[in-house]
Amino acid sequence: MNSNSNNSNNQKKRNFQIEAFKHKVVVDPKYPEKTWKILEHAIQEIYNHNASGLSFEELYRNAYNMVLHKFGEKLYTGLVSSMTYHLKEMSKSIETAQGGLFLEELNRKWIDHNKALQMIRDILMYMDRTFIPGNHKTPVHELGLNLWRDNIVHSSKVQTRLLNTLLELILRERTGEVINRGLMRNIIKMLMDLGPLVYQEDFEKPFLEVSADFYRVESQKFIECCDCGDYLKKAERRLNEEIERVSHYLDGKSEAKITSVVEKEMIANHMLRLVHMENSGLVNMLLDDKYEDLGRMYNLFRRVPNGLSTIRDVMTSHLRDTGKQLVTDLERVKDPVEFVQCLLNERDKYDKVISLAFNIDKTFQNALNSSFEFFINLNPRSPEFISLFVDDKLRKGLKGVSEEDVEIVLDKVMMLFRYLHEKDVFEKYYKQHLAKRLLSGKTVSDDAERSLIVKLKTECGYQFTSKLEGMFTDMKTSQDTMQGFYTNHGAELGDSPTLVVQVLTTGSWPTQPTVTCNLPAEMSALCEKFRSYYLGTHTGRRLSWQTNMGTADLKATFGKGQKHELNVSTYQMCVLMLFNNADRLSYKEIEQATEIPSSDLKRCLQSLACVKGKNVLRKEPMSKDIGEEDAFFVNEKFTSKFYKVKIGTVVAQKESEPEKQETRQRVEEDRKPQIEAAIVRIMKSRRVLDHNNIITEVTKQLQSRFLANPGEIKKRIESLIERDFLERDNADRRLYRYLA
Amino acid sequence: MRKEDTVKLISAEGFEFVVDKKAAMVSQTIRNMLTSPGSFAETEHGEVTFPEITTTILEKICQYFYWSLQYARFSSFPFLLSLLVHYR
Repeated sequence: MNSNSNNSNNQKKRNFQIEAFKHKVVVDPKYPEKTWKILEHAIQEIYNHNASGLSFEELYRNAYNMVLHKFGEKLYTGLVSSMTYHLKEMSKSIETAQGGLFLEELNRKWIDHNKALQMIRDILMYMDRTFIPGNHKTPVHELGLNLWRDNIVHSSKVQTRLLNTLLELILRERTGEVINRGLMRNIIKMLMDLGPLVYQEDFEKPFLEVSADFYRVESQKFIECCDCGDYLKKAERRLNEEIERVSHYLDGKSEAKITSVVEKEMIANHMLRLVHMENSGLVNMLLDDKYEDLGRMYNLFRRVPNGLSTIRDVMTSHLRDTGKQLVTDLERVKDPVEFVQCLLNERDKYDKVISLAFNIDKTFQNALNSSFEFFINLNPRSPEFISLFVDDKLRKGLKGVSEEDVEIVLDKVMMLFRYLHEKDVFEKYYKQHLAKRLLSGKTVSDDAERSLIVKLKTECGYQFTSKLEGMFTDMKTSQDTMQGFYTNHGAELGDSPTLVVQVLTTGSWPTQPTVTCNLPAEMSALCEKFRSYYLGTHTGRRLSWQTNMGTADLKATFGKGQKHELNVSTYQMCVLMLFNNADRLSYKEIEQATEIPSSDLKRCLQSLACVKGKNVLRKEPMSKDIGEEDAFFVNEKFTSKFYKVKIGTVVAQKESEPEKQETRQRVEEDRKPQIEAAIVRIMKSRRVLDHNNIITEVTKQLQSRFLANPGEIKKRIESLIERDFLERDNADRRLYRYLA
Repeated sequence: MRKEDTVKLISAEGFEFVVDKKAAMVSQTIRNMLTSPGSFAETEHGEVTFPEITTTILEKICQYFYWSLQYARFSSFPFLLSLLVHYR
């Protein structure tokens, strides 16, 4: 505006000036006092709820003028003393309020003061904006709050009474009474408005202390009379109550503080006592599958430090104890299938607990796994038993079960397999059992067998299962071979007994010592025909008959003309065929004719003569045991309900003591080359390594198959040194060097 | 204009300017005046008297209110453009 006018001034060349706007100069010395009196009166009217007559504009203008004319200081000090005076009046009426009306009166006066404060602030806005910042004074609104705080909340007659009233109301609510929450909210909000320091010092700190005492006493009372589940329910209820209280009438920031008080007093202080409580503690909850109680315990304990680890430790030690009892229970180990089923049941139970109650917490799953790993390996026969369990399932247990359920069972077995430290022992037994299953044709489902092999392969690698797969291949190849044999020689074989041969590759199948056995003439001729056929089609191979396996179906006619079809082992067949040419045979004669080893022969004769319902032979004398002098006859009086009679199948049994020792020995022998191979592998890449490190590395490499014994590793190292694979360092006896 | 949306501004000489409340509220002081709790005379009657402001000044002030409402929203660039247009 100014520049324009100057332009026009230059253009029009006139002496035209615009003067600056001058305020009226105040010459009246009573001016500030008079103006202040107007404002002081207005403030009084405001506090007396009489503001309706006042003109905002007039008051604003007066305040504005005071500040403008440099009387801001007087205005400000006047404001302070005026407000203080009125607050002191208010204080008196609050102090004299009786009992329950105290808080209400305080609240009412607070609302009044706030309203008055805002009106005053609006009138004095100019001072607030210009005078106050320049002179570092407290702004009007803040001033009003501070004066309220100093004159009322911190007045000696109000301060303690206020705190005690609030705390008493909260105590009453905690004991079940209904209180005026709206009023509480307003009063607490007042304290919050006065600043976080006021809220904390005048309310929150004492509140937390009183609450801690309250819960300390209450928790002591509860724990004496409640069981664990009930106590936890009560604790949970109190916790939720406090959270609700905060949301209704306390500052949100107090929630974390009060909850940690409750957690400390009710949970953390009594944690161990709760967990170990007789008849209702953690162990009992686990035994009784109390999922709801366990879930509650989990949720409450996770709030306190070391809560979950306490639960976890107790669960782990309980699990290890029960597991240990299970695996060392003499009764249970008599039935391997039951044994494994119990393990599976136990694992299922805890799986359910962890997923339903413990929030599928990974640390708990790890604790479960490590406990199982611990006690399964306490019983050295676990690998054997697991293999027997699988054998049972694949023979008959999984008959008629759907494919998905089969997978579920096999997956569970794999879980147990993973816990084993001595996986090579399992492999040995599994091979034995699989061989028996395949050769006797007793497997329930080929798909299930293959599925398990795949799982083992995924877990342990190709090497573990290559031989097992070889066994399956042999079975298939044999079928094809038999087809070829009968197509080529079918005509000439017309009347001969039907032969089914399984050709087994020696490396893949469990090693059996070859035994002597004289086959009956009809059989040996047939077998020779097969041998020449086979060697004709495959060069460079050698066949040896495994007479200790194999079965035969015989048609037999007895004394009264009863006809039966007998399913017997190869040995049994040899023995029975002898009776085609003789009515009576002594033990010695049978032994000579068949050349079957004596222990096997005795077992065979026992199953033919001494088993009720299957006694196709008669023995004299009628004792249970086979003596060298016994004589045998065909039992003409043999009867059976069935046409087809099965005698003495070769079933996979739990090994007897000597058999067990033998297998273990074989396993130990097999481990030696594996350890040596590992040592050589490691030394080849490292060149020089000290003793302790070799042990660690070797153990780590072989971990997936078995736990290597440091003593055994040392022996292998010595052996390798002897054979010039390694040498000892001249200077340091603990250092080994690889010899290329 | 509805009566509830308006407020009367009265100059020193007694001229009455009836303007929208929204326009008057451009001034912080008037806004505080009208929204202050408690029943000041102004809010009761919807009139504000300015004994120290002349009519011509008050008129200009009211014009400013409306100008401000119209243009305060826009960023400075378009405003400059329209200003240039005026000066052609």
